[in-house]
Amino acid sequence: MSGKTCSSSSSSSSVIHAQKLVDQLRVEASMERIKISLTAADLVRYCQDHRRSDPLLTGIAASSNPFKDKKTCVLL
Amino acid sequence: MRSPLIPEMATQEVQLNETLVHLKTESETLKSKLEEERAKLHDVELHQVAEKVEGLGQFVMKTRRTLKGHGNKVLCMDWCKDKRRIVSSSQDGKVIVWDAFTTNKEHAVTMPCTWVMACAYAPSGCAVACGGLDNKCSVYPLSLDKNENLAAKKKSVAMHTNYLSACSFTNSDMQILTSSGDGTCALWDVESGQLLQSFHGHAADVLCLDLAPSETGNTFVSGGCDKKANVWDMRSGQCIQSFETHESDINSVRYYPSGDAFASGSDDATCRLYDLRADREVAIYSKESIIFGVSSVDFSLSGRLLFAGYNDYTINVWDVLKGTRVSILFGHENRVSTLRVSPDGTAFCTGSWDHTLRIWA
Repeated sequence: MSGKTCSSSSSSSSVIHAQKLVDQLRVEASMERIKISLTAADLVRYCQDHRRSDPLLTGIAASSNPFKDKKTCVLL
Repeated sequence: MRSPLIPEMATQEVQLNETLVHLKTESETLKSKLEEERAKLHDVELHQVAEKVEGLGQFVMKTRRTLKGHGNKVLCMDWCKDKRRIVSSSQDGKVIVWDAFTTNKEHAVTMPCTWVMACAYAPSGCAVACGGLDNKCSVYPLSLDKNENLAAKKKSVAMHTNYLSACSFTNSDMQILTSSGDGTCALWDVESGQLLQSFHGHAADVLCLDLAPSETGNTFVSGGCDKKANVWDMRSGQCIQSFETHESDINSVRYYPSGDAFASGSDDATCRLYDLRADREVAIYSKESIIFGVSSVDFSLSGRLLFAGYNDYTINVWDVLKGTRVSILFGHENRVSTLRVSPDGTAFCTGSWDHTLRIWA
């Protein structure tokens, strides 16, 4: 297809771009979605299940947190 | 003036224009349908589901270490899996590896460019990756010999056509994921420098990325100046989900520890939580008094706390489930530019335009 005018080739690239957009939207539209009441419950459950092993949440003692300075020091 | 060959071309052009109109109508229809589908699932808010959850008490978090040594703005940092080493990069081109327990510098490299906006520690702890205005991502193996010149062993891995904004090793030292001001993300083989997959879809600079926790499979999320957060399939290069609710650039994205959601921080002064299975935003973390942009976000280990660094020099700590702020931390003397929780969740580190890094616990 030689000899296209400038406006024709920019039309065809717009068409390619628009087709990509439509294809992308079709992919996104085909997704199976779940209600927030269910998915949010899972987020909450995850937090609750892991809360005891979250040092920043529970605040661990200076003796077990390497960044917190211990009060006593040993002089050799 | 048109030539006599034009009749066929004119018909072609008319056909193309018709196709274009048809496609535009179809994309508008699909967009409305997407919004409708997402709205149907919006039967409740996250904080309502979390009503029965115990509230959080007072948090006392302080600066426990200050890492001084950079000569200019700290732009990025990452933890080593050993939970004590940190790599940081700066506007002055320096990349420094620190022992966060002792605050000692273990390695330092000067990059050939300024504004090293991205750095990452390799999973093995034996190398670091970094890049910025040089449009590249380079890997430096870390030597046990402190006198060795790291720059000599440098390996150029990624090449973009604009600045490197973020980089991350995948679950091994062998592959690196990058994002760039050129609007793309890319996956690279470290050894050969070969491009394995590229990810196109953002309409402007991509500013950040985060890999899904390894249990949840091969996806990652990216955020950009087009206000969109995109979720990608690493194998196919396909964008599988897209979220556009922020009102400005998205500077930071981070997966919720279960992999079912991710948080974002934006120049619009809000952080938001997006649920991947409901395919929509489920929480906004904001206050009228907070008007400066968010530069970086990260979750505590259980996902209950969201730490966010802001351009007003503060860190706000949010209750992810209830949507309320639980603490505000002061200390930095300029913008907080980067923030990461340590691998074992005992502390988090922030980097700032005030040239320092701070460890908080």
